[in-house]
Amino acid sequence: MFGQVIADNFDLFAQGFLTTVLLSVTAMTLAVVIGSVMATFRVWGGPALSGIAGFYVEFFRNTPLLIQLFFFAVVLAPANLGITADPLIVALIGLSIYTGAFATEAIRSGLLAIPPGQAEAARSLGLGQLDTIRLVVLPQAVRSVIPPLGNVASALVRNSAVASAIGTRELLYMGILVNTRTFAPEALLGILFGYWLLTLPLSVGINRLERRLAFAR
Amino acid sequence: MSAVAHRSVGLARALGGYLGLAVILALVLVLVATGVLSERRWAPFSDIRVWRFLGEGLWVTVQIGATALVVSLVLAVPLALARTGLPGPLRWPVIAWIELVRATPVLALILGITLYMPRDWLSPMWSATLALTIYTSAVLAEILRAGILSIPRGEIDAARSLGLSYPLAMWLVILPQAFRRMMPALVSQLITLVKDTSLASIAAVSELAGYARSTHSFYGNPAETYFLVACIYFVINYTLSRIARRLESGRAQEPPVAIGGVVDQAPGGSI
Repeated sequence: MFGQVIADNFDLFAQGFLTTVLLSVTAMTLAVVIGSVMATFRVWGGPALSGIAGFYVEFFRNTPLLIQLFFFAVVLAPANLGITADPLIVALIGLSIYTGAFATEAIRSGLLAIPPGQAEAARSLGLGQLDTIRLVVLPQAVRSVIPPLGNVASALVRNSAVASAIGTRELLYMGILVNTRTFAPEALLGILFGYWLLTLPLSVGINRLERRLAFAR
Repeated sequence: MSAVAHRSVGLARALGGYLGLAVILALVLVLVATGVLSERRWAPFSDIRVWRFLGEGLWVTVQIGATALVVSLVLAVPLALARTGLPGPLRWPVIAWIELVRATPVLALILGITLYMPRDWLSPMWSATLALTIYTSAVLAEILRAGILSIPRGEIDAARSLGLSYPLAMWLVILPQAFRRMMPALVSQLITLVKDTSLASIAAVSELAGYARSTHSFYGNPAETYFLVACIYFVINYTLSRIARRLESGRAQEPPVAIGGVVDQAPGGSI
């Protein structure tokens, strides 16, 4: 019966799916933190900070994620400082740093999209530097940053599949495992459905949000 | 700010990536010379033959990337035209195909196709190229569609009123303009494609990433090899991103096309 292989190995698929979700959610959180710091450096930092943040963005988004993961896997493994080089941790670090570069660009363009007159007006009304950023710039930036960050998140879910190459037991890894055990092509469909379950609602949500924000502006 | 300072800031912004890379590579050289980094692990890279070997891998990467790009461009045109031009129900399978492919991890496509493609039909290298083509053509179709939709409606009306048929108006008037507008996004997608070719190495295809594995398993220096191979990818992709920026600044009067509503991002690899 069709679907039998997926039903028989449901626990493996569920385990892989949950690992993919966990990996994506945690890496996205870390990427937004990295992105906020780096975007602040790029926009308001001096030449040195801005240059470092710029090179970080350019280097990590112009090199393959796979090579970065291999590099981190090798570098983090031999040290073994009490932490085992758990592939999940390595994948988490690698994905966060890689995705952080894209998050930086999304947040930076959101910050730059706000007309400078907004901050100038707030300052001339007597708000301090911090209040200007907190009350005037950030609320507007968040609005224009969320759709591009949504795209980054959707890409992150798909990129997390690359973590299987360093042995992270996420959805793709588990699906291929079931496939090599059973020789059933259905296992590959199980992989696809798992990713679609995450990426399709995400892209529908981003489209809706974009349309609503476009109206609100 | 003085004119000279202005120019040097502009130059740093334009070439900052190469500068940063040069600084890091110089730092590595100093650290190796002073013995902080292991000389044994870095020594192989002073041998030209290692670079020639990696160059062979790079050549395979270029072949995969170039083939996938050209075929994707050809496939993207009918896909985009079908999605914009066909009546409702006929359009649905095209929309479903494009959206499902874009929602799938490239690695899953590569592994799925290389696992089930009979070897005497397509070698693993060309199976991986096929997978990359399927993915890239779907993304390019969306970029091209955004380009077509950004051309004012009046253009096609004018072409029609001058006596051109709908297909001719599309081919002679709309598509050339759409193509020009999608150039920056196209180069960004090419960067993504170059990065994604590395995934073929997981399906036992020997391209640059595969040659890197052979190199480090011979010399026992994985971290050093992967770092330098990352630098090779960086030089290629950063150069492409500079070209994308050129294309974008030359056409500032027209909004560049981007899917996902991000138009004012600095050009570079899309994720």
